[in-house]
Amino acid sequence: MSARWTIVQGSPQHRIYRWVGWGSFVAAVLLIPLIVADVAVINIGSNSYKFTMSQLTLATSWAVAVLGVQVIVGYTGQLTLGNSFFAGVGAYLTAILVADYHWSYVSTLVVVLPITFLLGMAIGLPALRIRGLYLALVTISIAALLPSFAKLDTISIPFTGKTISELTNGSNGKDIKSISKIKSPDWIPWDGIAGFFQGIPVVGKFFGEGGLSARQEDTLYKYLIMLAIAVIAFWLVRNLLNSRVGRALQAIRDNETSAAVSGVDLALYKTLAFGVSAALAGVAGTMYAIDIGFVNSDDFGLFLAVNFVVGLVVGGVINMWGAVVGGLAIVLIPSMARSTQSVPLVKQSWLQGPVGPFVQGVLLILLTFVLPGGIVYGIRRLRARFVQVVPPELAAKGEMEEPPEDYIPLMEEPPPELSESVPD
Amino acid sequence: MDFDLLTSPELLLARIFDGLNAGAVYALVAVALVLIFKATTLINFAQGEMAMFGAFLAYIGWSEWGLPMWIAVVVAMILSALGAAAIERTLIRPFDPSDHLPLVIVTLGLLLIIGAVAGMIWKFDPRPFPELFPSGSAFRLGIANLRWYTVFTLAAAVAMMALLQFLLSRTKIGLAFRAVSSNLESSELVGIRVGPTLQFGWALAAAAGTFGAVIFVADPVRQIEPSIMLSVLIFASAAAALGGLDSLWGALVGGLIVGQVQTLLVNVFTFIPNEMALAAAVFVLLVVLVAKPSGLFGTARVERV
Repeated sequence: MSARWTIVQGSPQHRIYRWVGWGSFVAAVLLIPLIVADVAVINIGSNSYKFTMSQLTLATSWAVAVLGVQVIVGYTGQLTLGNSFFAGVGAYLTAILVADYHWSYVSTLVVVLPITFLLGMAIGLPALRIRGLYLALVTISIAALLPSFAKLDTISIPFTGKTISELTNGSNGKDIKSISKIKSPDWIPWDGIAGFFQGIPVVGKFFGEGGLSARQEDTLYKYLIMLAIAVIAFWLVRNLLNSRVGRALQAIRDNETSAAVSGVDLALYKTLAFGVSAALAGVAGTMYAIDIGFVNSDDFGLFLAVNFVVGLVVGGVINMWGAVVGGLAIVLIPSMARSTQSVPLVKQSWLQGPVGPFVQGVLLILLTFVLPGGIVYGIRRLRARFVQVVPPELAAKGEMEEPPEDYIPLMEEPPPELSESVPD
Repeated sequence: MDFDLLTSPELLLARIFDGLNAGAVYALVAVALVLIFKATTLINFAQGEMAMFGAFLAYIGWSEWGLPMWIAVVVAMILSALGAAAIERTLIRPFDPSDHLPLVIVTLGLLLIIGAVAGMIWKFDPRPFPELFPSGSAFRLGIANLRWYTVFTLAAAVAMMALLQFLLSRTKIGLAFRAVSSNLESSELVGIRVGPTLQFGWALAAAAGTFGAVIFVADPVRQIEPSIMLSVLIFASAAAALGGLDSLWGALVGGLIVGQVQTLLVNVFTFIPNEMALAAAVFVLLVVLVAKPSGLFGTARVERV
């Protein structure tokens, strides 16, 4: 099977191809929020699915979290399921600093990053001895711990003189949005931007009518902040993985013993990977706090840990685009399942039950069977039928690289296009 | 520290009894995890949910089909064994047993699906489960009250362990089981039918798990509902890892230790608040695993390059 079009790497066509690809992605990321500024409704059959800005912002935060899981599970090969714990820590730190100490939301990252990084390294230390499924068991138990940690009322935290449950407001959850709200600064001409797109013929009607309300402007501003954090996180992680550190981590994943023999300091790199992964989860937690404005410990228990696995599997284990898809999947699957009220041949009363987890479970098993590289890998295979990018040497010889026929096993070699899979 | 607890034997005894009670249940579920791990070096994250489903089948058998309770339990054990065999055949066997991640994902998927299906069918309102054991106390000293329930649960855990041990060490199928778990390829070469043997392991584990869940919900202080086994699974997997994932007796010891940590340790060291029972158990687990990475009684695996 050969692709329909062949593009030589580095040629002008290739440059155009990349620009179009990236351009449409950036356009989608920036324009969809303007379209969805309120609520977009799509009807399928008799079900109507609502898509809101809040889902999109939440998806950016979970994308960062899934990226963190990819770093440790996909790139380092350590089977840990406990990252939801660090997301909870990040969310609570942000909530406490904003609500009780009146920090600004984004500046809390200064505290969240080092603390979650060190916590992650602390979890990484025992992981030097504990391996494989034992590690999976320990970490999933740690994930289950967060709700009870947040309700601790006997241990007081130094410098604050308050117990943990006083700081976290125990089982009631910590409310931040009533204390501090993210306001869009006045200098952003939202109405002008909206007016510009509404003025475009044909497509203009998708951008709504008239100016944006203050609430919509704040939501859009919030989205931009979170997008900026996510872009920086992805960029940093990409650089890290393409560096010496990244190669060391992949060597550890492929075979610990031979990595150690080749001079990779296992203790250093493994704990580092745990730290980075936990810090990303912490950032995701901060983003969650920014987005929702309310932190409840029960949202950071086992269920979120399983959700991260869902995001990981749906998107793909070793592909940074997979993290984006995974973040969207974590948010969209449960909400779409909830709004599905009638499906032919299915009893109505069943659809009022826990459909979201059911769909997630089915997806986990289905994807592991038919598309172990995740949706992103599936799209790549599909694309390879139409467009193929070949290096100039091969093109000169007239040889064509065969597109990948078989799926990749989840934990083995990264796909050959890995170096190209990250944005550059 | 609560010195009252150390000076008052009654109180101490009461705590130990509480711990035995919880520990025996953890051991019953942990042994199911260990069975599957022994056969396939895989942890079945859906074990708790499968056990919950089995317990629900027993409940339905009793309340809707009008079977006598113990018959209903046996029927449920058989049904869940059949279900687990089917799951092993369709969802587990296609994968390479040495590659953990896909299998962990499949069992997590099963956890979600089974939990969701149970929620759809039976909803989340708790229902009282009939008592299987005589109520009242077997032994009483002041406030220390050893209930018959605890005695029978413990006896059931020990009996099941002994039965499984007998099955594995004295019977032909047990020999095949051990051969497969020690070396899959070699046992295939000597003519053992690996697939059915592993399937048998899954069926056995599901029946054991169902039995554990039935006993767990048969405690008069509990009621049956679809999410009941989630927290038990965490404690039970801590117990299994503590004892060593491939040791049956390790599961029993691990279960009892986790039970004692949860009740005794947390109450002796009063600076550990009650909510931290799970954290204390995880902490003990961490310490044990760092000292002995394959658990107290597990066999250490040598890795070859």
